[in-house]
Amino acid sequence: MKTEIQKYYSAVFEQEWPAWLAGMLIAIIALMIFLWESPWTIAAGYNDWGNWFWYLAGAYDKRPLDPWFHPVSLSNTGILIGAFVSALMARQFKIRPAPKLEYAKGLAGGILMGVGASLAKGCNVGGFFSAVAMLSAGGFAMMIGLGAGAWVGLRYLLWEMEHLPSQAVYSKPKDKTKSKAFDWVKIQPYLGGGVAIGVIVVFYVYAFADKTQVGGWLFFGFLIGLVMHRSRFCFVRAFRDPYMTGEAKMVKAVAVSLIIYFAGSSVIKGAYLVEPAMGIYHPFVLGSLTGGFIFGIGMLLAGGCASSTLWRVGEGQTKLMVTMVAFALTNSLTAKFLQVSGINEKLGQDIFLPDVMTWQITVPLVLTFFLTWVLVAMWNEETEKFVVF
Amino acid sequence: MDLENVQTNSVLDIRGLGCPMPLLKTKKALKGMASGEILEILGTDPGSKKDIPDFGNKGGNQFIGMVDASEGHTRYFIKKG
Repeated sequence: MKTEIQKYYSAVFEQEWPAWLAGMLIAIIALMIFLWESPWTIAAGYNDWGNWFWYLAGAYDKRPLDPWFHPVSLSNTGILIGAFVSALMARQFKIRPAPKLEYAKGLAGGILMGVGASLAKGCNVGGFFSAVAMLSAGGFAMMIGLGAGAWVGLRYLLWEMEHLPSQAVYSKPKDKTKSKAFDWVKIQPYLGGGVAIGVIVVFYVYAFADKTQVGGWLFFGFLIGLVMHRSRFCFVRAFRDPYMTGEAKMVKAVAVSLIIYFAGSSVIKGAYLVEPAMGIYHPFVLGSLTGGFIFGIGMLLAGGCASSTLWRVGEGQTKLMVTMVAFALTNSLTAKFLQVSGINEKLGQDIFLPDVMTWQITVPLVLTFFLTWVLVAMWNEETEKFVVF
Repeated sequence: MDLENVQTNSVLDIRGLGCPMPLLKTKKALKGMASGEILEILGTDPGSKKDIPDFGNKGGNQFIGMVDASEGHTRYFIKKG
């Protein structure tokens, strides 16, 4: 019995989950969040954190929503904790230092993602993944921007590899023979289990305080963080790998995820379970396209998008901690600037595709679009026509 | 194959680097090697434990194996095809 349990523990918590499975689970959780309150997003949480920093620094007059009551701040925190628990269960949590150049890229990447997410009114999740699933035209425009930005970002990384030296940096493990220090690695799974129970307890506390809907965001975020870290699910790779190694694996995983998410969203909206215009706020075309392009460059420099930055922080990667802070601070400032300057009005319009093209045309067209994306990626995997290096 | 005693032709140290640098640097290192030569990679990124074996078996190359070193990093071995 013990061997059986160990086998299942290893399969669930130690081995890497396949990307296609994670994609399906993420789509299902995203649909749960959509039905729970509104479409899943991430940048709005970063925005709240950034707003708090600038408010406490005296730059803003208006007090932002408390981070423990802001739904997206809570779900982002949930993702962080979910990834932390996943890393602990696999004995993988470690504070991971990086070379100085990597920190510089983390900072630059976070700044660019903060700006890009402001222009597009969403990150790779709110501005692309959820936007596309909600059938917002801006989501598709951001997708094109992300693809172009990823190409530019990769070209920079190739240039850097040729021209700038890099040094290895790593933290040496403590010599266990010399000290009687606690074996931290051994207790990680127990700590992970404790934190997971803690999250459930916190959710019950929210429910007890009549804040069940808000508390639910923490719990859903926790599930997403767990799934993403177990599978190392990264939206960046769907845009980067076709240029870098030719691999189509992440394209397929994201496409499968999007097909399930958009199909579910279409049924929910088509059946008027929610207002069909929910989740349609992306500025087509200028904001989405340029925002996607800038975000795409940023995510290549940082080595993570809005979601994978959170789960990488959860496993201890210090470079992405810098990215997370830079993203939050920049996103807040840029959003404020775009609003105050009036540029927001010029970025484009919210367009719900079935309003423009009817449901009968939109659904098969969007499905064809995803399948074409996968087929092109598979063709590229064989021919390497788009591989730049 | 006994990974502790394998004869390597080149060592790539990417400890501390995270995605996508491990794969980029591995790809670059392999390009500069002759057929039959063995590349050893020292890495710390957890993602590399799947990425490097998967990549190492592409394009005619062969991923030989990996071993966790006592210093905390992982050693990967790829034979150029």
